[in-house]
Amino acid sequence: MSARIFGAAAILLALASGGPAAGRGTQSGVYTAAQAAEGAQVYAQQCAMCHGARLEGTVEVPGLTGKFVANWAGRPVGNLYDYLARAMPQMAPGTLQPADNVRLVAFILQANGAPAGSRALPADSATLQRIDFEAGMPGH
Amino acid sequence: MGAAGVMAMPAMLRAETMGGPAPLVPMRLSLDQLIDIKCCIRPLRAAGPNLGTEMVRDRLVIHNYGHGGSGWSLSWGSAEIAVGKALSVLPQSIAVVGCGIIGLTSAIVAQRAGLGVTIYARDMIQRTRSFRASGSYTPSSRIALAGPAGPQFGDTWEQMARFSWKMFRTMLGLPGNPVEFGDSYAVSDDPIVRRTDPADPAITDSYETTGRPRQNSEFAHLDSRIRDIVPQAVPMTAEENPFGTAHATRASHMHFNFPSYAQILLDEFFARGGKFVMRDFHSPRELGDLPERVIIHSTGYAARDLWNDQTVIPVRGQTGWLVPQSGVNYSLRNNNMSVLSKADGLVVMNNNPDLGDMLGVGDSMELANRAPIEEAMNAMSRFFVPRTGAAI
Repeated sequence: MSARIFGAAAILLALASGGPAAGRGTQSGVYTAAQAAEGAQVYAQQCAMCHGARLEGTVEVPGLTGKFVANWAGRPVGNLYDYLARAMPQMAPGTLQPADNVRLVAFILQANGAPAGSRALPADSATLQRIDFEAGMPGH
Repeated sequence: MGAAGVMAMPAMLRAETMGGPAPLVPMRLSLDQLIDIKCCIRPLRAAGPNLGTEMVRDRLVIHNYGHGGSGWSLSWGSAEIAVGKALSVLPQSIAVVGCGIIGLTSAIVAQRAGLGVTIYARDMIQRTRSFRASGSYTPSSRIALAGPAGPQFGDTWEQMARFSWKMFRTMLGLPGNPVEFGDSYAVSDDPIVRRTDPADPAITDSYETTGRPRQNSEFAHLDSRIRDIVPQAVPMTAEENPFGTAHATRASHMHFNFPSYAQILLDEFFARGGKFVMRDFHSPRELGDLPERVIIHSTGYAARDLWNDQTVIPVRGQTGWLVPQSGVNYSLRNNNMSVLSKADGLVVMNNNPDLGDMLGVGDSMELANRAPIEEAMNAMSRFFVPRTGAAI
């Protein structure tokens, strides 16, 4: 199945659930490779202890690929950014700095098959609310 | 006390019965038996569970979350209240958001009232925080703070507790023993007294000033309201006490065996035509997207973030799980350490004796810490060692 069909499915899902964010989608290169690499560092320090070094999760802790896409795609990627800002890391919610937060979002998008691009993902909730989290081909 | 000592002990301890001592199968507490450590956060809500209603767009949302350490124990009564509110607006079908013990029980209570039900949740009950509880009947464990809950809360709590108690009785003896009683022994070298928590005047901060309780006296303690139905501890004589301590009590205590309990509920849910949709919600507004016009919201601790309810306070707890030991049908507590035998394993707990209800308050770290579990297993092993001169 092609990425296009996945993308179409994501848009349909978004339409069915109140409409997609107007603007770019995460399959169009919305973060930089450097951001994702920095996000990997943040992830290793702040997230891996619970979610696993390979984002695999556990019975108790959500993995951050696969089913994760089903739970978050078809809506603004800003939802994920806002959630990380207020709820993660769980043992110290609200402590994630905005710059690190957006790096993490980039890292997670990359892990789920979204391509890097030339423009950096901004650490700004309002902007991120206008970028769709699109499903793509399965990540790692 | 090492594992070798445990293995070498005689096969039976004794407990009292009519006509003389009957055998108690000793617990096997050697470290090789430890197969899991579960850690979870109780959703203590300062004012007690949220059972209120609100509109999200044109959907009626009925809350049913924030049951602290008492979700299982109050599940049926709490569901009855929530579903009653749903029925009062005459729906044919409803949505339930969340599939822990509160959500799933709410769904079934709604079905029994003739409603069609769809559950929307990230996971089925086996992967929710409900499944990481101990399974011990504890209807007022971190259920509310007395001040914010107010004087009326006791009546609501008692209604939920009494209703739930009767419903648990309808599950006794079902296949897999989803609900079961066992003897609960408390043993001590010192006299066993009921814990009381008078306010410490030296602690001037409180929930009202800091958003977190600061001492045990702030918690609502309600168990005495249902002592007419819930078995109370009775003292044991030295002859009756099989554990060789100076003091001991025995109580009949109810517990829940999660695997069979969950299966029975899920079987009924699907047999009645229930639908499960895997769905994560990122804001209350998204509930307005659901096709159902009436929604019971039961996301437990997750409600803190989903509904931005900052009055939900994390209270961390953890349990060690040993291989199930058939024939061991009792629990044993010594001060802060306890082992409870259930069909799904022996549950080991080690709770700091000085902290009481304050243990874990504000702690949202959900990774396990193995050391206290091993400490409890080692310490509790001493009760299963042959004693010189003891009548074993």
